[in-house]
Amino acid sequence: MPYHMLRRIKGFSYSLFLLVVLGSFQKKEMDSTLTIQFRAYVHGVPLELNRKYQNPFGETFEITRFRFYAGKLAPVYTDANFKSKIPSRYHLIDFSDSATTRIELPVTAGIIYNGIQFQMGIDSADQNRGAQSGALDPAKGMFWTWSSGYINFKIEGSSPLSTQPAHIFEYHIGGYRDNYNTVWQIKLYSTNDQTFLISKEKKIMIEIGMDLDYLFDGPTPIHIGEVPSCMKPGELARKISENFIGTFTGLTISPNP
Amino acid sequence: MKSLAVITFIGFSCILWINIPFPFLIPKGFPSPVYRFQNNPRTKEGFELGRKLFYDGLLSRDGNFPCSSCHQQFAAFATYEHRLSHGFNDQFSFRNAPGLFNLAWKKDLNWDGGVNHIEVQPLAPLMDPHEMAEDLNHVISKMKKDKTYPALFNRVFGSPGINSQRILKALAQFTASLVSADSRYDQMKRGETHFNQYEQKGYEIFQQKCSRCHQEPLFTDFSYRNTGLSVDSTLKDFGRMRITGREQDSIKFQVPSLRNVFLTFPYGHDGRFVTISEVLEHYNSGIIQSQTLDSGLRKGISISSDDRFYLIYFLETLTDSIFIRNPLYADPNLGVRTKAPVHLH
Repeated sequence: MPYHMLRRIKGFSYSLFLLVVLGSFQKKEMDSTLTIQFRAYVHGVPLELNRKYQNPFGETFEITRFRFYAGKLAPVYTDANFKSKIPSRYHLIDFSDSATTRIELPVTAGIIYNGIQFQMGIDSADQNRGAQSGALDPAKGMFWTWSSGYINFKIEGSSPLSTQPAHIFEYHIGGYRDNYNTVWQIKLYSTNDQTFLISKEKKIMIEIGMDLDYLFDGPTPIHIGEVPSCMKPGELARKISENFIGTFTGLTISPNP
Repeated sequence: MKSLAVITFIGFSCILWINIPFPFLIPKGFPSPVYRFQNNPRTKEGFELGRKLFYDGLLSRDGNFPCSSCHQQFAAFATYEHRLSHGFNDQFSFRNAPGLFNLAWKKDLNWDGGVNHIEVQPLAPLMDPHEMAEDLNHVISKMKKDKTYPALFNRVFGSPGINSQRILKALAQFTASLVSADSRYDQMKRGETHFNQYEQKGYEIFQQKCSRCHQEPLFTDFSYRNTGLSVDSTLKDFGRMRITGREQDSIKFQVPSLRNVFLTFPYGHDGRFVTISEVLEHYNSGIIQSQTLDSGLRKGISISSDDRFYLIYFLETLTDSIFIRNPLYADPNLGVRTKAPVHLH
């Protein structure tokens, strides 16, 4: 065998060795999974689409579509010195498709954690990357074409109090520029300061509860009769997004069946 | 043993069978482009797919409105002689179609800068009910059923599948490649030709009175400015404010490039000026005062009839006849058309 080929094989083995070593490190870091389940409630009742509810202002309404982006999900570790590696991925949670409300998150076993963190919406860095795929595919209907940007959450429905055609109400909330940023970093801790150890064997499920009453009855009260629609970035969108993050009310941690 | 080597070689060649790289050349004197085909390496096949898509009516709801229906090569990819372009179901577009060239240098696109990346630009006309009036998923399903597209996408992207990302990346390979840098002005700059005395005089007047906003070599500084236009009562177009929501951006529009300006008439975001003379007269005597009016236009720009005469000579040197006749950018099925063939819409 000529010398240069031998050298090449040697080089190849080195890179293979490096890959294996790096791979094993990688594996060690993310060797378990954590299940995250988003659940929405209205007045304490689990949300069902196309079902009549009343908001805290006594307005009857039903929701036909409810989607939002949750990205960069990661567990919060009790030991502040241990920073979790934040994945850059986004998930489109769509309540018309229950499979999308559950996320399997790769995590590191053997560490104690007491919360979860994520980003509601698409941050400015990820708004400017051009044509994207997966959860960020513009074909998902969460992208504004005339003023580039993702809709961070979308709630559509109807209410007899809406003044819009066919009594529909629609909140398409987005915007990442300057004062009209609607992207929020959220950290949630378990309701009774519970801490949990993630291990390889004992899988855990975290339920993130959302109480949609706060969408209306938040820092800025939103009456469907007065505000039946919001479809562009601006002051109103920012305020509704502030209400929306108030709907994430807490964590329930349980063994994953 | 020898045959084994040959087979291995052929096998490797197949694996390594890649698309032909197609380097993007930056014209001499041009700054570094914003879009450098990052995450979308430019290949001959990718460019050709983008070109096919650009000229294909399949991207529109009724098949009649490909990108090229409003962006015609003989008009430097603007709509020839139309204030507003025509779209689906006899409707008008909201704004005058700009020429498409040197887009790789634009950070934000559209008159109001609402589109933040060249790759997502086609979504705006495609889904606009007044323009192509289509749905992205419907376009994808039509392409999947098409005889040629599945194989073309497979070839360009190295695996089967058609999705919005691939469509948009292919289109960007074509649109970002539309470079206009071969006008008489460019030839003069490169020392290949000389301006005559009229053109030279016009150039000097241009540098003195116009180049504050229409900066060389792209002939725009990409800023948003209120140039003293009235707001049309039906269009109610407040330009940049529509995007930012800020009052200080009211009636501001992106400074258009003056390259190919003789081909891209009518002028202005709503095409209100038919001729260059009208535009020059607007700056001379038609500026409407308002809060957000560009500070350099408070007193207008004094342009005498002599100035206008020479300026027009200069502006004509910005016509890139090589660009509008470049067969590389033409309809792959029809080839180059040098002037408006029929009044299509």
